[in-house]
Amino acid sequence: MSTRVLICDDSNLARKQVLRSLPENLSTDVQLAKDGQEALDILRNQHIDILFLDLTMPIIDGLGVLQALKDEEINLPVFVISADVQPEMQNRVLALGAKAFLRKPMQLDTLNEHLKSHGFL
Amino acid sequence: MNAFDLTEDQHDCLQELINVAMGQASDQLARYLDTFVYLKVPSIEQVRSELLFDSLNHDLKATSIVSQGFFGYEGIRGEALLMYQPLDSSRLADLLGYEADELSFDEQMIDLSSILTTTFLNVFASQIDNQMSYSAPRLLSTNLNTINQHIQQQSFNWDYALKVRISYQVTDYSFNCDMVLLIPEEAISNIKAVIDRILADF
Repeated sequence: MSTRVLICDDSNLARKQVLRSLPENLSTDVQLAKDGQEALDILRNQHIDILFLDLTMPIIDGLGVLQALKDEEINLPVFVISADVQPEMQNRVLALGAKAFLRKPMQLDTLNEHLKSHGFL
Repeated sequence: MNAFDLTEDQHDCLQELINVAMGQASDQLARYLDTFVYLKVPSIEQVRSELLFDSLNHDLKATSIVSQGFFGYEGIRGEALLMYQPLDSSRLADLLGYEADELSFDEQMIDLSSILTTTFLNVFASQIDNQMSYSAPRLLSTNLNTINQHIQQQSFNWDYALKVRISYQVTDYSFNCDMVLLIPEEAISNIKAVIDRILADF
């Protein structure tokens, strides 16, 4: 069975960048969301195996998504991919349960390292 | 739609380049002020010059404005305005970690603005394989006519401009600063060409 992936970013370009960086085993069943609200709508109704999440977004931002997942006890590995690289932001994100924080522009090696350490590779 | 309008894809691409640059600029600001900087989605709009001054006026709750020109390869250039909300001199010195009389208020504003502008634009430039040089930052009066004159003095054609606005909010100090980048019409087509090159890869 393929791994179900959700990519949430308000930028079409950024979504494509993530999609293009995914290894083959993660790129067959991918859904896209352009803000936190869209992502939550999907996550509340479907089983998703891994979420790639941007932070600075309209409607509901990445922190809002992480908080909602925590409140609603929706458990899945979340990899945050963000340009907001302040150490405090990284701490906040990890405290809210994200598995990894990846800086934009995303480095392929770093992504693969994190995927490997969480058993996706 | 005119020749200076961005397509949806161009707008999206520019916004993502700006996101990465503002992320790093805010990281610098956060380290400099030893605090956390709250970021919002930046706004990008195209304005006609007569409306540009109206729109700046609308934005102008600022009491201090620092202006700095930037010039890259391939005709990428413009003017960065750092607009600060009211802040008294001793408070700023405290924020920046200076002794009260170490630097004048003007020097402190220029110092901080230069860090933000150059960090932002250096990261922006590196993403598009470009390199920026800068004019000396200048503290402007907040009088709109002075700003208007200052912008008109730059040897650009300002009938149309691309206006990018980025807000940096330091909540625990109630310190707010808007960075407004004004890109004159002759540079817009150059930026569009660079963006199209990036988009062609996708």
